[in-house]
Amino acid sequence: MERRLQQAFFTLSILALALILAAEWQANTPSWKNYQRTFLQLEAQDEPNAAAKAAVLATPLDIHQVMLTGLQRVDRCTTCHLGVDDPTLKNAPEPYRYHANLGPHIPSKFGCTICHGGQGLATDKQNAHGNVAFWPNPLLSPDYVRASCGRCHKEGDVPGVPELTEGRHLFETQGCRGCHKLNGVGGSIGPDLSEEGASTRSPDWLERHFLAPNAVSAGSAMPNFHFTKDQARALTYYMLSLTNEDMGSYYASVRLIPSPEYGRELFVEKNCIACHNVGGVGAKTGPDLLGVTKRHSPEWLDEQLVNPQLVYPGSSMPEYDLETNARKALLAFMTTATPDDAQSILSGRKTALKPEDVAIEAGKQDFARFGCVGCHGTELQGGVPNPNAQGGEVPSLLHVADDYTKDEVIAIIRDGKAPPLDNPAGPTPPLYMPSWKHVLSDEDIQRVADYLWSKQQKKESW
Amino acid sequence: MNLIRDIWRSIVRRDPLSTDKGKSELVFLNVWLHIHPAKVKKENMKFRHSFYLGFITFFLFLILLTTGIALMCYYRPYPPQAYQDMKDLQFAVFMGPFLRNMHRWAAHGMVVCVFLHMCRVFYTGSYKKPRQFNWVVGVVLLLLTLGLSFTGYLLPWDQLAFWAITVGSNIGSYAPIVGGQLRELLLGGHSVGEAALLRFYVLHVAVLPSALILLTIVHFWRVRKDGGLSRPVWKLKPKKTENLVTIGVPPAVAPLQTTTASKDKTYGLMEVVTGKPIFETITPEEEEDTVFSYPYAFVREAVVLMGTVTTVMVMSLFLNAPLEQLANPAKTPNPAKAPWYFLGLQELVSHSALLGGVVAPALMVLALLLIPYLDRNPSRHPADRKWILWLFTLFVVANVALIVVGTFFRGPGWALVPPWVHVTGGAE
Repeated sequence: MERRLQQAFFTLSILALALILAAEWQANTPSWKNYQRTFLQLEAQDEPNAAAKAAVLATPLDIHQVMLTGLQRVDRCTTCHLGVDDPTLKNAPEPYRYHANLGPHIPSKFGCTICHGGQGLATDKQNAHGNVAFWPNPLLSPDYVRASCGRCHKEGDVPGVPELTEGRHLFETQGCRGCHKLNGVGGSIGPDLSEEGASTRSPDWLERHFLAPNAVSAGSAMPNFHFTKDQARALTYYMLSLTNEDMGSYYASVRLIPSPEYGRELFVEKNCIACHNVGGVGAKTGPDLLGVTKRHSPEWLDEQLVNPQLVYPGSSMPEYDLETNARKALLAFMTTATPDDAQSILSGRKTALKPEDVAIEAGKQDFARFGCVGCHGTELQGGVPNPNAQGGEVPSLLHVADDYTKDEVIAIIRDGKAPPLDNPAGPTPPLYMPSWKHVLSDEDIQRVADYLWSKQQKKESW
Repeated sequence: MNLIRDIWRSIVRRDPLSTDKGKSELVFLNVWLHIHPAKVKKENMKFRHSFYLGFITFFLFLILLTTGIALMCYYRPYPPQAYQDMKDLQFAVFMGPFLRNMHRWAAHGMVVCVFLHMCRVFYTGSYKKPRQFNWVVGVVLLLLTLGLSFTGYLLPWDQLAFWAITVGSNIGSYAPIVGGQLRELLLGGHSVGEAALLRFYVLHVAVLPSALILLTIVHFWRVRKDGGLSRPVWKLKPKKTENLVTIGVPPAVAPLQTTTASKDKTYGLMEVVTGKPIFETITPEEEEDTVFSYPYAFVREAVVLMGTVTTVMVMSLFLNAPLEQLANPAKTPNPAKAPWYFLGLQELVSHSALLGGVVAPALMVLALLLIPYLDRNPSRHPADRKWILWLFTLFVVANVALIVVGTFFRGPGWALVPPWVHVTGGAE
């Protein structure tokens, strides 16, 4: 017995030693070392003599990493992708190939995962490419990598990525915010989209969802907007760019975007011409903007765009929710704007300018921006299916003045309303009018009502 | 050479181990080993008596202590760096995964073994006089082990950790009046966040281990002072009272020198004193049945130690400790589950918050603490304690069954789902 116990002790001790050695062997033979060895052999081939070859082959094997404090990332991709910044390797086999066309986005400053996705901290292929459980952002397929540009380039045109501009434009004009929150603004019928790009949903899922919401998530309340394939792709690009990551000032201060062209688009989109004129061309409610950048400092103008009441107490100029680069772009346009620009903007409008247009235009902006159009339609036509609501769809607002007073409508916008049921015993309709009082100011709501009344069609009298 | 010999003799003062004196001095004169008696009963060393569960628990704790200190070198207790450090352990630290796996599996093993150890002590009736208080110390050690495991669960700062602790600390908050405040004290706020991570870290690496080490010392000390390991049930004599003997003399009788000293032998007496010993003693017949701790007990303990270490190592080589996504307070997994040893409670909470969150755990702990005082039956024979053995078995089976149901049979929305049915979707 005692002898057997001693033997057992020694056997187990040797087993423990063997296990430690096995663990050490496991730790000492990671797959990245093989990649580095192959790379060194590739490099050594081009060396002229044996001594140089040996020197290359003797390079110690190490984990390479790019510390990106501004992006709160550490990318170890270059542990295997050893040639990304070496132009002589542009024909090398993967994973050693040179990454062409990076422009200013050098790997040492941007890393890899901010554009490509994947798991930067990982040091084996499967984990690094993120095709593992519990890593929400696998490598983006080449079709969608450009969507990542929108993570830093949050506004305006991104050169080479028209999809992003189109996606953002669709999002703001099709009324997505009526149901979806984005960065704190929007309805709560659908999911918050502020971090949609960081979710586990694949680009493919998103694209199919935009084409037919019910096909990929059964019972979804989202109406089918009958997007084209290109539109669905554009929206998918936009969704993928929404990660709500803190990018750090270096990456957020994008110098590329504020162009006069983008400023002109904003000038049209925000309908500045409804109040302002340029050299006398346009409305007369607000001041002439010709040479405004010479009369005021950039800081003063920027403040005027952020908070008009602070600069001019009692000003009738609305507060526009413009981001820094959008304001810069507008001011850039202001330095170059001529009466001819104003004339061409005016002639692009469908209706002539009227004094009350100021409030109505602002109301129209709100109606689109806060997503009312998502259900009620861009022309107030309604018609989005809403099973078991009276009429089976979201009501048109073209005849709202026949049934309600303006104050009643304002109350409905303020407090929300559950749709009357078609069949009282049936299920609750998926769509309802949310309460807007925490999102819109009383002034905004008044403007929306003004806009609705401006669009009322007279009922046929009998 | 004399100098070297002098130094060696100053460190190791015992006689050679070939002598009996040397064997006993190895134990007496060594601070680390003196927790053992010089001699132990052969029967007590039988594997089928104790299954060495106490030793296994202690050895697992030693593994946890060493791997834990090593892990502390790589860990920053604030989000989100804590999670990044987990990834570094996984991908960049040399033998990092092995280290973390060993800590994880040893921790789960310790929870299991401490519970099994308690069951063994209960089934052999070893909590009975004179060992009542050591049982109480043991129950507190069980609670400390659960506390250590629970606080350690949060540290990886992934979804699994975050939501297990959220659910677990919610169970605690069902206690009336103080529940909410206790939870706030533990978390340093109203929800699991940075403050909670720091507090759990401090509890995990400083407060609870110190308490556990202190109480372990008390526990071991009391094992010795209560008469060593309890006798195997199959060795019990029909009449227990014979084991407790009087030494010395009653005060009223004649002076010491005229009294024939008891034949019974006790260890640890500095002076001859009067009165009954509070601990179990052994009779001369039993003395015949003892062997020196060195090497007989030590070699067995060494085998158990190496068996424990190798088992944990094998598991750590082939099974990776889980690590899910970075903790996200906005995304609740469905179902969100507490650590597995609290899933019995969570299962009860799903039926009644008051019952599962307050009444059941409070009663369980109270009953465990009071068992040695409520069970007045002095006999350790299984035949004499049938109903209490059934009762305890019921307690064990109910606990295990609830944990199994909570772990394997609960799906999204805490609905009853068999483990072989794969549920897709969840929190989409």
